Amino acid sequence: MTLERQPRDLHDALAKTIVGQENVLEALLLALLSNGHVLLEGPPGLAKTLACRSLAAALEGDFKRIQFTPDLLPSDIVGTRIFDQRESSFATVLGPIFANVVLADEINRAPAKVQSALLEAMQERQVTIGPASHALPDPFVVMATMNPLDSEGTYALPIAQMDRFLMKINVGYPTREEELQILDRFAMADTQPVRCVATLDDVRSWRAAAHAVHVDEKLKRYIVDLVAITRAAEGVSVKSAAGTTLKAAELIDYGASPRATLALAFLARGRALLDGRDFALPDDVRAVAAPALRHRIGFNYRLATEDVSADVVIDAMIAAIPAP
Amino acid sequence: MARNLTASLILAAAAWIAATGTGRAQTLQRLTVESFVLSADTMQPQVDVPFHVIVTLRVRESVSEITNLQLPMLAQLDLLGDERQTVSDPRGTQYREVVTVVAHSDGRIMIAPATLQAIDARDGKPKQWFTNDLPISVHSSASHIANGMAAGLVAHVARILAALIWLALLVGAALLAIFLLRRRAPVAPVASVPVSYQPAPVLSEAEQRRQQIADALLVLRAERTRSAAVRVRGAVWRAIGASEGETLADVLRRPGCGQGVLRDLLVALERSAFTYDEDLPGAIDDACAALERYAGSLT
Repeated sequence: MTLERQPRDLHDALAKTIVGQENVLEALLLALLSNGHVLLEGPPGLAKTLACRSLAAALEGDFKRIQFTPDLLPSDIVGTRIFDQRESSFATVLGPIFANVVLADEINRAPAKVQSALLEAMQERQVTIGPASHALPDPFVVMATMNPLDSEGTYALPIAQMDRFLMKINVGYPTREEELQILDRFAMADTQPVRCVATLDDVRSWRAAAHAVHVDEKLKRYIVDLVAITRAAEGVSVKSAAGTTLKAAELIDYGASPRATLALAFLARGRALLDGRDFALPDDVRAVAAPALRHRIGFNYRLATEDVSADVVIDAMIAAIPAP
Repeated sequence: MARNLTASLILAAAAWIAATGTGRAQTLQRLTVESFVLSADTMQPQVDVPFHVIVTLRVRESVSEITNLQLPMLAQLDLLGDERQTVSDPRGTQYREVVTVVAHSDGRIMIAPATLQAIDARDGKPKQWFTNDLPISVHSSASHIANGMAAGLVAHVARILAALIWLALLVGAALLAIFLLRRRAPVAPVASVPVSYQPAPVLSEAEQRRQQIADALLVLRAERTRSAAVRVRGAVWRAIGASEGETLADVLRRPGCGQGVLRDLLVALERSAFTYDEDLPGAIDDACAALERYAGSLT
């Protein structure tokens, strides 16, 4: 693996600006290496915007933030055609989605047709405005956020739409030590701008290198087993908050799709590259299993009535499959 | 002559396959060798008359099969058949291989020793055992007849001498019995001779681990394949108390595993188990070096 600049350099540069939130940083980089998108769920004020802006700055790429609201229209995202009176013709105005790093803030606040427009663009990597199709820039990473605390007036994303995100990260509050560091770094002095550590061409070559990372047959079988157990989790038991033992299969309506299998392999490759390896390990697969699976499993009402966390069920299923 | 040459080639090929294929593909067994003998049902076979060369191995362990046993090169003999028998019981295992051969010309043949490679369970070291060699004198029909006549005369004299000795012994035994009955002496209780068993040496935990690492190194050097690397990785994990279902990160979190030569060894073994084929030789070299360093750190 002869790369002029390593993905780890980008990670280290971002880590100098963002305190903690290691899982968010890693998710952003993995999405970049795997050509995917990230869904973040967590309360506001946890440096999500800063992470995206810093990533774009570190790559000398474009960054756009779209605040999703109930009155947002698809054209507000993808762009529209306006009539130019001087030229007496329609001109295309590209929307904010035309950027290398896009933060779709509170994606569940916009109605379904706006969500669809964004998700279609994420999948197709191009948008059609009027008669012409426009390719989105490369690299193109969308980081969409959802606020779990304030669900009034929101439109839940259907599972089929969520499946298009490569991974879903639950963003938590920083630790006490991290919060002290945040105070030192941001409240007492001016924030240091992120310097450019790589180019968009570097990202493209990293992506090619990630694609070439070796995944052993044993690991492939492990990945398939991990996805298969989400569809047939009869042998897996979990404990509710009240201490009742429940069968995981009774909490799940449907398991992850083959897209989850592909996502696991992509993410494991990306994580190996991030660690400077050109072969993946069981640790890579296990580390990305929960983020790759948690938004692809259809849990039923019993999850809420029995007061069981979805992550507890997912962790139990992952633990039930022995690593190779 | 042509048949001899064919037989030699077949046997040489079989021996080579056994040495490079089967021998390397299998882990050495831990055995306590009690006897390992090469014999023949006759030391003076006749030309064109089949005879048997027999390899007998007795080990203390109860095993289902014996691996890494190599037959001698039976050059100048034509191989007609081969029969193996392994009998196990709680006291050990008896392995017997009967090779049916035939010689097509007279003269002396020296059959080289059979060999066995195994880990000596007594001291935990890999060793090679050899049987005795076997000098065979092949006779043509005419010389066999002449030899047979001479041998018959000698046998006749020997039988007469043996009969006389038996007679003398019987008379002596009868006289002794009469003498003892007439004395009516109380019979002293016969003290049973205490049988002392040599206890198997108990290895310390460090010794055991060193032995396991030495075995792993031996296996990986002999068989530089992915499957051997995976087996060695599993053996090392078991040696440090980790289970098969754990990942490297889990194992490195165990006390004492996250630093130093053991960490290097675990990382090297992980690489050899999961890297791509082109990188495998280098990964196995690194794993062998790490095994050596770790074994050295245990002394």
